[in-house]
Amino acid sequence: MKIKPKKILTYGLIGAAIVCALLLIEFLFNRPPHDKTLRGVAWFKFDKHNSLDGWEEKIFNGRVLYSVKDGSSKGYLNAYSQKAASGILRWVKFNPNKHPMISWKWKVVQFPQRKVGTFTDGSWVEKDDYAARFYVIFPRFPFFRLQCLEYVWDKDLPLGTVLNNPNFPNLKLIVASSGDQNLGKWISIERNVFEDFEKYFGKAPGYVGAIAIMTDADNTASTAEAQYNDIEVGYDKK
Amino acid sequence: MIKNDLRKKKYLGTTFQKKLLFLVFAAAVIPATVIALCLYYMIFNMLSIQMFFPEAIAYNVMPVLNKINMVIAIAIPIVLVVLWLIALELSHRVAGPLYRLEKELGEIVAGTKQGPIMVRRKDEFHSLAAKINKLILKR
Repeated sequence: MKIKPKKILTYGLIGAAIVCALLLIEFLFNRPPHDKTLRGVAWFKFDKHNSLDGWEEKIFNGRVLYSVKDGSSKGYLNAYSQKAASGILRWVKFNPNKHPMISWKWKVVQFPQRKVGTFTDGSWVEKDDYAARFYVIFPRFPFFRLQCLEYVWDKDLPLGTVLNNPNFPNLKLIVASSGDQNLGKWISIERNVFEDFEKYFGKAPGYVGAIAIMTDADNTASTAEAQYNDIEVGYDKK
Repeated sequence: MIKNDLRKKKYLGTTFQKKLLFLVFAAAVIPATVIALCLYYMIFNMLSIQMFFPEAIAYNVMPVLNKINMVIAIAIPIVLVVLWLIALELSHRVAGPLYRLEKELGEIVAGTKQGPIMVRRKDEFHSLAAKINKLILKR
């Protein structure tokens, strides 16, 4: 038997090529499913009873009731959480380098009842709930390396506060609405995700792969209710 | 002839043993690495996509991932050393008797040795050594 190290190396390289091929197959066929019809600008109105078609639900701790109310041109998405945490997401792909703007309307009906003094120093509070959260997801491979801008409406933290999650540095939580003086009122939010990403991650973003919303009240074991509407993503600066 | 004594030196330094050692080691390490990489990335990638929300990934996937990374960091050097020792032993069982056959045949040809060639119990090539010994006796 004649042993040729070069041959063994060749087999090793073939093996490595097979791994790369398998990873590529996995990447192509198991990557987040982007809705082809929703490349570029997308506008989500909740004006029909089937407006939640295409949205996926992810349950963490109990189920938040997401439902389209009214079903007319004045319709909206209502999220009602009773000691529960679950969110809904929509796979939508756009390039924030070209179309950086994203906007939505939200209204808080009821904040989760947080104990006084649990959230004062600006540091990350793991066991906390928000009446309204809006996620912008920047997927990467593997998916656990994703980066995320999470906009929240918080009753206590000042507007513009940014929190870092010590367990997940790729998540930046930004207070986009603050206080309870606008309780029960629709608030319009418009964000430049390119600028936000560059500011908080220190580099230009890749593609946005999904957006998501969540209302949760599981950690405070209370009730929270919020409404969302007119989500528009991937448009240029006006 | 079979000899029972243990060979103390496992690494002979011959080119043949080097090649064999590399072959056995690579044959064990490359497929294991391929499978481990595929499983590692596929499982955690799929799990993360399934969970989707960063907080869910942070509190469910990342602790498991960190623990597995720690286990891998400790286990891989140990596994590599064990595989290397196994490869050394296996290569030695093949390269050792060949080395001995070549060396002792050389001595017999040169006339410095008369007796039969010894092969250790766990070594390969017993039948070859026996046939060479028969040839030597017929001479």
